Amino acid sequence: MALGLLLAVALPGLATGAPAQSKSPVVFHVAMLGEGVDSLNPFLGFQAPSYEMWGLTYDYLTGYSMKDMSPEPDLATKWTTSPDGLTWTFTVRSGVKFSDGVPLTAHDVAFTFDRVLAKDSVEGTNWLSYLNGVKSVTAPDDTTVVLKLSKPVATLPLLPIPIVPEHIWKNISESQMKSYPAAPTGGKPVVGSGPFLLVQGSADGSTFKFEANKTYWGGAPHIDQVIFQFYKNEDSAVQALIKGDADFVEGINALSVKRLQSQPGVTAHNGNSPGFDEIAFNTGSTSDSKGTKKIGNPNPAVLDPKFRHALGYALNLPQLITKVYQGAGLPGTTIVPPNYTQYHWEPPASEKFTFDLTKAGQLLDAAGYKVGSDGWRTLPDGKPIGTLRLDARSDSPTSLNTMDYFRQWLKDLHIKSQVSTYSSSQLTNVIYKGDFDTFQWGWYVEPDPDSMLSYMTCAQRQHSSDSFYCNPAYDRLYNAQHVETDHAKRVQDIKQMQQILYQDSPYLVTAYSAIGEAVRSDRFHCLVTQPNPGGIWLEQYGVYNYIHMKPASDTSACDAAPGLTGAVKTTSSGSSSSKTGPFLIGVGAVVVLALVGGGIVMMRRRTTVQDRE
Amino acid sequence: MSLVADPGLVADSEEPGARSRGRGYGSYVVAKVLGSVGSLLFMLLVNFFLFRVLPGNAAQTLGRGRLNTPAQVAAFNKAYGLNHSVLDQFWIFLKSTAHGDLGLSVKYRLPVSQLIVDRLWPTLLLVGVSTILSTLIGVYLGIRGAWNRGSVFDKVSTGTSLTLYAMPEWWLGLMLIAGLGVGFAFVPGLFPTGGLHSPDIVDTNSVHGILDTIWHLTLPVITLTLAYLAEYSLIMRSSLLDELGEDYLQTARAKGLRDVVVRNRHAVRNALLPTTTVIALNIGFVVSGAITIETVFSIPGLGQLSTEAISTPDFAVLQGTFLVASAGVIGANLIANLIYGWLDPRVRT
Amino acid sequence: MTDLAAPRLSARHLARQRRLASYRRTWRAFRRHRSGVAGLAILLVFVLVALAAPLLASSDGLDVTLANGPVLGAPSSHYWLGTDDNGRSVLTLLIWGSRISLLVGLSATVISMVIGTLMGLVSGYFGGWIGRITFRVTEWMLVIPFLPLAIGLATVLGPGLFNIIIVIGVTSWPSTALLIRSQTLSIKERAYVERAEAIGGGRWHQMGRHVLPNVMPMVFANTTLTVAGAILTETTLSFLGLGDPTRTSWGSMLDSAYQVGAITTGSWWFVIPPGICVVLVVLAFTLIGQALEEVLNPRLRARR
Repeated sequence: MALGLLLAVALPGLATGAPAQSKSPVVFHVAMLGEGVDSLNPFLGFQAPSYEMWGLTYDYLTGYSMKDMSPEPDLATKWTTSPDGLTWTFTVRSGVKFSDGVPLTAHDVAFTFDRVLAKDSVEGTNWLSYLNGVKSVTAPDDTTVVLKLSKPVATLPLLPIPIVPEHIWKNISESQMKSYPAAPTGGKPVVGSGPFLLVQGSADGSTFKFEANKTYWGGAPHIDQVIFQFYKNEDSAVQALIKGDADFVEGINALSVKRLQSQPGVTAHNGNSPGFDEIAFNTGSTSDSKGTKKIGNPNPAVLDPKFRHALGYALNLPQLITKVYQGAGLPGTTIVPPNYTQYHWEPPASEKFTFDLTKAGQLLDAAGYKVGSDGWRTLPDGKPIGTLRLDARSDSPTSLNTMDYFRQWLKDLHIKSQVSTYSSSQLTNVIYKGDFDTFQWGWYVEPDPDSMLSYMTCAQRQHSSDSFYCNPAYDRLYNAQHVETDHAKRVQDIKQMQQILYQDSPYLVTAYSAIGEAVRSDRFHCLVTQPNPGGIWLEQYGVYNYIHMKPASDTSACDAAPGLTGAVKTTSSGSSSSKTGPFLIGVGAVVVLALVGGGIVMMRRRTTVQDRE
Repeated sequence: MSLVADPGLVADSEEPGARSRGRGYGSYVVAKVLGSVGSLLFMLLVNFFLFRVLPGNAAQTLGRGRLNTPAQVAAFNKAYGLNHSVLDQFWIFLKSTAHGDLGLSVKYRLPVSQLIVDRLWPTLLLVGVSTILSTLIGVYLGIRGAWNRGSVFDKVSTGTSLTLYAMPEWWLGLMLIAGLGVGFAFVPGLFPTGGLHSPDIVDTNSVHGILDTIWHLTLPVITLTLAYLAEYSLIMRSSLLDELGEDYLQTARAKGLRDVVVRNRHAVRNALLPTTTVIALNIGFVVSGAITIETVFSIPGLGQLSTEAISTPDFAVLQGTFLVASAGVIGANLIANLIYGWLDPRVRT
Repeated sequence: MTDLAAPRLSARHLARQRRLASYRRTWRAFRRHRSGVAGLAILLVFVLVALAAPLLASSDGLDVTLANGPVLGAPSSHYWLGTDDNGRSVLTLLIWGSRISLLVGLSATVISMVIGTLMGLVSGYFGGWIGRITFRVTEWMLVIPFLPLAIGLATVLGPGLFNIIIVIGVTSWPSTALLIRSQTLSIKERAYVERAEAIGGGRWHQMGRHVLPNVMPMVFANTTLTVAGAILTETTLSFLGLGDPTRTSWGSMLDSAYQVGAITTGSWWFVIPPGICVVLVVLAFTLIGQALEEVLNPRLRARR
């Protein structure tokens, strides 16, 4: 009866879930999954959703193209390089205003970059890598920013650092900065120049509300509000989409995508993400970046590039994609995903790994890993290989299943192995100690592959390197491409580096993973993928879709997007009731169970006393 | 006593040797308060060192692929005080805690006290409402069951309670989401599947906002209520059965008092004591008690905050939430002890 | 029974006889509790299934690399309870899962019982600082929020069957310790213990020969109830992703069902059966435990 009361009170609340009426503002509800926003302060956060929040709030000197994520003008309208590559001059767009009316000038840019460059500053933790080699930043006038470098930097002009308003942030001291929330306070939105204004939300919260910046220099967005709601589990988020509480859901698995594709009014896909999953080897763990002291206990076999390379032929990648990834993903090759068309190196057919256990066996035989009398392969010196440790992450079923398959294929190759699981943080510990043979993990790769490539250099051992890979030839190429001003030459170096890695196989790249997304296409249309085609709709590099998507009520043609295809089209809406008939049985089961319990007690001749003292 | 938190803890928590009969209530209170303060101080120490054995460090787990140079790692560790030795960190922790400063969350870069305040009220609301509802319903079921022992009502209610008691509460939550949140057959989903507010509620304190929150909390509250209710009705029933066996009740009835009077005036009042103790102790577990329900229903509460901090590991958050949690238990324990000592002088041994 | 009076029987033999008779008496008393017998029957079924798992379903059915059923396929004549997201038969997982769930529940209870009994005996029997410290430790263990502690401990130890047993065992002993303590306190006062002390029996001797045997019945009844709690905890920890992912338990099944969105996809066969199994087994242990408690606790028996 108390429940009934609750229910009665609750029923008016049902109306709140109803879609926005035509007169009320157009709100785009996004259901997000995963970790959530860790900081609204663009100098502090690390998590991917935080980047989405900053992207809506702030502008950047340069942006990324929708087609292939190459650098393109944003706040900077154009840029020039001196012939020696040591001076970069950016022309900053004029007429841009922050949301409080103060104009955004080159001085704000210089201020932001200076804070990042300040020695030992917490601002540098996230962004310093992009300004590596930059000696000074100056703003000679309101529309010019000059970067002086100590050596040429090939990753420029890419500068994905959010530009903050100097007149606000200059009052934040270095000691305040480490905990400065940069969140809306007292109903006042965060000051920024981006296409949306953050009006509500705080870092640890689950709801973030943005209002469109109607005076945005790039044109007012077609929607009035964006609201992000973070869910802790996929079922809730998907149900919110089906019921109409959400218009978009990001980061769902392939099974949910499949299910939503048959849902009327919903368009769902698996977009290729710029990331890869790999099986990594311990190529020689050391206690520091110089490699002076060996630590850990890697199996001698995995230290041998020939051994690792041979295992590349023992991976049935298409089967992994179908079975483990439920079809959402592509078989992997190198550490630069094919999304980045200009940098990706695709191995020629003669070098490319195929699932060929015979060939893998021959390569192992040739390298000295022959099958011994006991039926298992031995090391070249005749000693047994023993049992390879395949470490999987307990929080990822993909990780565990990949290693399960790997174990099976190793067995077919006469190599003993055992799968063990660790939590991510525990595995991190194990890796830094070098107490592993192989593990499964993955990386997201930024549009400029420089940082990903750097993780495989000698200097990154005990830092970002998790395979302890060290190859002087590779390092030479890395250093060369890092300062190479000739783009074509740089691309060539980068491809050659991938070839070296493919040969030495510190990583066996298993898959280019995909991200499941679904949108209520009965309510919104004109979303475009990045890269185009084949990419993703949300959590892109840049915020194109938030600006250019349109409500279904706006039937005009989508904004002109030269060279982009496949914008989401409106679909007729379906009923929002779901057909989960089997759950009738579920509810029935609960009732039956309760009755069973009741029945057991009914059978008792005499009531027993449950004693508690 | 074996099913659940133990009321015996309260009655037993004095040293067996110290028997100064007829000790005053005042000295009893002082002893109890001092004991609780001691426990709290001990928990403070445990909280600090307990979590230092957690694997991983924040720079590696949070900054994977971000903190790429030694300089960046050093700047990060310096800013958040991770560059000090554990002993130094302990001193800093003691000093700041003495000043009421719980430190900074290394993940959210916000004061831990703010995070706890933000997360406390959803948890309090959820667990508080559930506790009240389950107490009322549970005690009612227990009384009626015990009084009409052996009746159909008693059998059904005891059987249901036992079944609910054997059920993982989050599984019950999932079933409710499936049945009432998602909807089945021709029944539409009546309730939201997660969260605390509809995203477009502007003011959560308006009437509309409050109704919306109630609507969101209905399923989680039902789940927790059912889970707690099982416990309370079983305890209430058994302690009332204990009372009904006592002699004075027979006397009361022999004197010709009506059943209802006997039940309400004498038996129920005495039988409520152990139940109150258990409820008081359970309230102490408010902050940590609903982790699974918070997970299943996507409610941003304290339980979620503390469990997520484990994987970073975010020491300040762990220390802060555990401090609040243990303070809750110790406080509830203290209050239960004081009430118990007031009501029943025998306890003040 | 007539031999009982025969003088040539040794004292030890006599004690054994007496104990045997008391077991029989207990069993007769237990049989009168229909709920306890029902619980025992349910439990027997699950134990049989767990023991006979290799006969009922091949363990190959657990290997994802060998699975070739449909993804989240509905129940069919081939897969009676449908398939999971890897195409494995849910029925096979359920059968093998009973092994892990029961194993973890029982082993963790053993650890919990050993620690709890020791702590309870020591804190109840010894006065002075030993008793005081053990009692304080017990109290503190009760005060620390249980689930976060278990989660933290599981994170430190890492996923693994053995580790999860330790985690549950090490965190669930305090209530047992308190029970044993209060029992010990009352038994300590009894005449024969005092007499043993008077004739110079050592403390450990007394505890082993007089106190322990007397608290054992209560420990036993409490054990069955602790198993119920341990199985529930295992399920919850596995559901939170802290179990051993390389082994299938009912909890880990529910975890993966939840992760792949079984509710959204309407795959009830992946969510409901593991839950019902948990409820039935926990209920069975609870019913047995309650019946035993009533049979073995003399105070309760007398009152009836």
